[in-house]
Amino acid sequence: MNTDKHRWKVLLARHETILLFVLALEWFYFNSVGRNFGSLDNSYDILRHSVEIGLLALAMTPIILTGGIDLSVGSLLGLCAILFGKLWRDAGLPIPVAAAFTLGIGALAGGLNASLITWLRLPPLIVTLGTYSLFRGLAEAITRGVDTFTNFPTSFLQLGQESALGVPTQVWLFIIVAIVIWLLVHRTTFGRSFRAIGFAPEGARYAGLPIERRLAMAYVLAGFVAALAAIIYTARLGQAKADAGTGYELFAITAVVLGGTSIFGGVGSVRGTLLGVAAIAVLNNGLVHARQPREVAGILTGVLLLLALSASIFSNWLANRRAFRQAAATNSEQPNSA
Amino acid sequence: MLKRHFRELSVAAALALVLLALAVFAPSFYQPQPLLSLLTREAPTLVVACGMALVIVARQIDISVGSQFAVCSVCAGLLASAKLPLALTLPGSVALGALMGAVNGALVAGLRLPSIVVTLATMVTWREALRWQQQGAFVNLPDGVQWFGFSQLAGQWMLIAVALVMLVALALVTKHFAAGRFIYAVGSDAEAARLAGLRPQLTTFGVFVFMGALTGLAAMMNVVQAPQVDPKSGTGLELKAIAAVVVGGVAISGGRGNLWGVFAGLLLLACIAPALTHLHVEAYWEKAIQGAIILLAVVADGVRSRKEKGSHG
Repeated sequence: MNTDKHRWKVLLARHETILLFVLALEWFYFNSVGRNFGSLDNSYDILRHSVEIGLLALAMTPIILTGGIDLSVGSLLGLCAILFGKLWRDAGLPIPVAAAFTLGIGALAGGLNASLITWLRLPPLIVTLGTYSLFRGLAEAITRGVDTFTNFPTSFLQLGQESALGVPTQVWLFIIVAIVIWLLVHRTTFGRSFRAIGFAPEGARYAGLPIERRLAMAYVLAGFVAALAAIIYTARLGQAKADAGTGYELFAITAVVLGGTSIFGGVGSVRGTLLGVAAIAVLNNGLVHARQPREVAGILTGVLLLLALSASIFSNWLANRRAFRQAAATNSEQPNSA
Repeated sequence: MLKRHFRELSVAAALALVLLALAVFAPSFYQPQPLLSLLTREAPTLVVACGMALVIVARQIDISVGSQFAVCSVCAGLLASAKLPLALTLPGSVALGALMGAVNGALVAGLRLPSIVVTLATMVTWREALRWQQQGAFVNLPDGVQWFGFSQLAGQWMLIAVALVMLVALALVTKHFAAGRFIYAVGSDAEAARLAGLRPQLTTFGVFVFMGALTGLAAMMNVVQAPQVDPKSGTGLELKAIAAVVVGGVAISGGRGNLWGVFAGLLLLACIAPALTHLHVEAYWEKAIQGAIILLAVVADGVRSRKEKGSHG
């Protein structure tokens, strides 16, 4: 009986439950304030617009689980978008071939991050800060800051602007990636090793985990997914520019942290990340419907990230205190029972 | 001496090499007026880089300095155009910077949140708040603000002097004063520093506040160089400062490096843009090259520390 009650309490206090509640609150608020917010069309619109950031957040989840971070995904999205345009327009490749090459380039760029982080044991923070500048800089250099790729064939634009089986086409791709990453993190030993590395890297090494290979896998996957996001981004907007995806890394990191993944690594879930993405997407879309200026969304995302971090620190502190008290209580009981 | 300062000396050698190459292939680089302009432009960056060096020595990072710089610049511009004397505008800008630094410091030191995420959040928050407020509008400055009301030449020399005085003062403080050594102690091993009786959280908080104050000063040094204030100024400043610090041999893992290396690193980076122009490489490559230089510097450090470990183990 007691454990049942306890279980309910745990479920209610869980990060995901609170986030679901916040999401419902957002929905009702914007529904009452904005016109057309609750319509089916707008729901599809939210889905369509959240796919790219959602993909980046999904790929960021295993990385943050290992205690790392990837600041370069937004810049890589920009670089891949213009390389995709370049391959199609200037190299004359058909769209599927250009897309395949772009995905390969994304994985290679992720491999650059991975090799610097694993071979030389450099901190992911400074490596990806360097590639954040490098990838965006390359995109600007290749397009000379002005070149824009447009006039993509309509068959390609369907991926970003039309629907398939009742929902926006790119959502299907998103679902596939989400399932793959969910399986990877929650149903395979890879996921366990990501957590182990984030929880205690030295412990994971002594336990015989191939740390370098697991870390490399997470960063290469992020590069691949960023390239996929770049293709979808291009299809949705119908154009590729060097500034594509600027600041997306912030949204992705915010979604992951908001979803309850610890920024120090070791703890987190894909389900939480998906809820985090939804919360941010609804907020962004709702603010537009509530006729707020665009900048408010950025400010709120920053503040939200800080609040989520503070809340996770606070709940950690509470849990530690409870554990300490329980330990103290059992210690004081023992002499009496003996 | 040679072995101990190998990292700083190698940056200085690289700088000498670039200067020599410029002397041979592009002697026009050494015309006094453009050279003076270049140094004046880099003076605010040097001040920010000095602060960033302290932050990184303390094993933290601050990527919100570019946004802080923009907010301070616009506020200094607004204060100046409200006919406030410069003697009040300058402290106002510094205080505002210190306040924004205190927000970072409170979150990092008080709540023990990772500095990269905290400053990523404040970077976007300040930048977007400024854009919301200002909507991209420039602030026109009244007469007598540009170059502090002196002639351009005197103003330029003044700015360079201010930056150099800050550099020398901070280099001496970090080497010889207790407060400076605290930063190294906390950056090397916060727990050991705590057991030795220091208060690591207070030191970290102080470093972030100081970083903000220096950013406020640098913003003011930038504002007086033009007749109006660009609300987008300081974009990418954090990367320039981090690049100078990392190239200058400050270890990203904290506790090692000095400001002389940072000075050499900044000069080296500053020479690259003009060198590119003289070599007919387009300016669009600057950001990519900056990223590549950051990566090169950390790779060099990584390879070296790996070798050292290998020779001992």
